[in-house]
Amino acid sequence: MSGAILGFDCATPATAVALLPGGEDEPLRARHEPAPGERPGHASRLLTFCAELLGRAGLGFSDLERIAVGTGPGTFTGLRIAVATARALAHASRTPLAGVPTLDALAEPVPGPAVLAILDARRGEAFAAGYLEGVRTLPATALDPDALARLAAREPWLAVGDGALRFRARLEEAGATVPPDDATHHHLDAAAVCRLGRTIPAGPPEAVLPDYLRLPDAELTRRVRA
Amino acid sequence: MILALETSCDDTCAAVVTPAGELRANVISSQGIHDRYGGVVPEVASRHHLELLDAAVDDALARAGIGLGDVTLVAATRGPGLVGALLVGLSHAKALAAARGLPFAAVDHLQGHVAANFLEPGALQPPFLCLLASGGHTLLVRVDDQRSHTVLGATRDDAAGEAFDKGARLLGLPYPGGPARERLAREGDPGAFAFPTARGVEGLDFSFAGLKTSLLYRVRDLTGQGTPSAVTHGATAPPLARDVAADLAASYQHAIVESLAHRCERALEQTGLRRLAMGGGVAANGPLRERIGALDAEVTVPPRELCTDNAAMIAAAARFTEPLPFPAYLGLDAYASGQRTPRGPV
Ligand SMILES: [Zn+2]
Repeated sequence: MSGAILGFDCATPATAVALLPGGEDEPLRARHEPAPGERPGHASRLLTFCAELLGRAGLGFSDLERIAVGTGPGTFTGLRIAVATARALAHASRTPLAGVPTLDALAEPVPGPAVLAILDARRGEAFAAGYLEGVRTLPATALDPDALARLAAREPWLAVGDGALRFRARLEEAGATVPPDDATHHHLDAAAVCRLGRTIPAGPPEAVLPDYLRLPDAELTRRVRA
Repeated sequence: MILALETSCDDTCAAVVTPAGELRANVISSQGIHDRYGGVVPEVASRHHLELLDAAVDDALARAGIGLGDVTLVAATRGPGLVGALLVGLSHAKALAAARGLPFAAVDHLQGHVAANFLEPGALQPPFLCLLASGGHTLLVRVDDQRSHTVLGATRDDAAGEAFDKGARLLGLPYPGGPARERLAREGDPGAFAFPTARGVEGLDFSFAGLKTSLLYRVRDLTGQGTPSAVTHGATAPPLARDVAADLAASYQHAIVESLAHRCERALEQTGLRRLAMGGGVAANGPLRERIGALDAEVTVPPRELCTDNAAMIAAAARFTEPLPFPAYLGLDAYASGQRTPRGPV
């Protein structure tokens, strides 16, 4: 056992992978951010990055002490690619697997007493979760802009994530602070997935499932008709 | 041992086949959830694949009496199919192989259907013709070796299985209409109504859109009511007498069978080949098997569980696919459409 932990997340258009070697070593990172208009590269980049980082550390999959995967909410297909990959890696290398909520990982490196982690949920909505003194006090929820503005007015939040950029005007109007567009805190750091994954109890791989937060459209339509 | 996964539509499949081509385990986990939506919903199918896949893999390994350590090659369907669904199986399979440094075979779904005929014992030797007909594809291919196939004809609109499903809906049967429609058709007279079989269309392509429209108009004429949309949504069963509905079902089925059989006959003539294999879910249709079986050819149809989507056929195809060594396959993505299968002359 090297004490090494591999963590990744595909809940946003980015493919984010990190390897936290054991001991005091700095995390190794690999990341692909699609250019505007480009499709996410989850399927083609995720495993390539994993193998690349392990190679740089001189490790193999079976040397890992643990694997951690972002479980969303986020893009449905990205979540499934990450979870299907993580479960197979964990199963085949007999490594414990920890599911890490994506918004927890987004908020983890952000300093400040009140942090609002927000992802762009498309369709004019946001996925948001709130953290006071590092403790999640508002679980991940899908919100429309009005609900998000009401939530933003409740605390002097520091709001981060691509959803904070998307709804910057509404958030600032409600009193929240949104760092500049190019601030690193808007990007999920896979090293945070590793760090949180180390603290979460790891179970059998098949117990880790995505947290979609939304029903499939066909199911919503069916319920409306029923 | 070859471990293969197939998740191109709504069946979550895992199988184990020996390097010599013998089937050891063929696990097909049918999701059975899509009936309530009146068809396969890609997002629903993808979610279920993720929930069912680990268990399907474990089940296949257990039934084969092996562990992951005995697997020497991992294979998965790369396309064509529902991309979101394909990506669940492909991602999982690539990661299983990567974690153990194993080689990986990316298999084309349609070549998989062809390769169902290569399982031992009793593998079919090329050259032969193969009719693939299901809810997702309808094509006639020529197989000259175990690695590939040449498309001789394909559907220009609906797949044969789709035509069957739409017909059932027009007759007011619940989705999926297959079993109820076949029962109904058995009671009816296949000669009662004349439906188009696209016999006049030259070449080896198929077309079922005209047939579907023709049934729609027949139903409207006979019921004297119902706009096309009311009928197609199947919200209420048209008030057709049971015997008339049975005649319609039988005649409609007859037209689909004739149109498939006629192209097979024409292809046998044009190629001079004497062997014909069938695959896809529609290959299980009784009257079709009977009609094709009567052609002047040596006809083989794999067992039903190898005709419908399954992973055993993917493993069978993997045997004849150049495997990619680790880590060459890590970046493989899925593809939705079948443009990878080249279309060639007879
Ligand atoms: Zn198929």
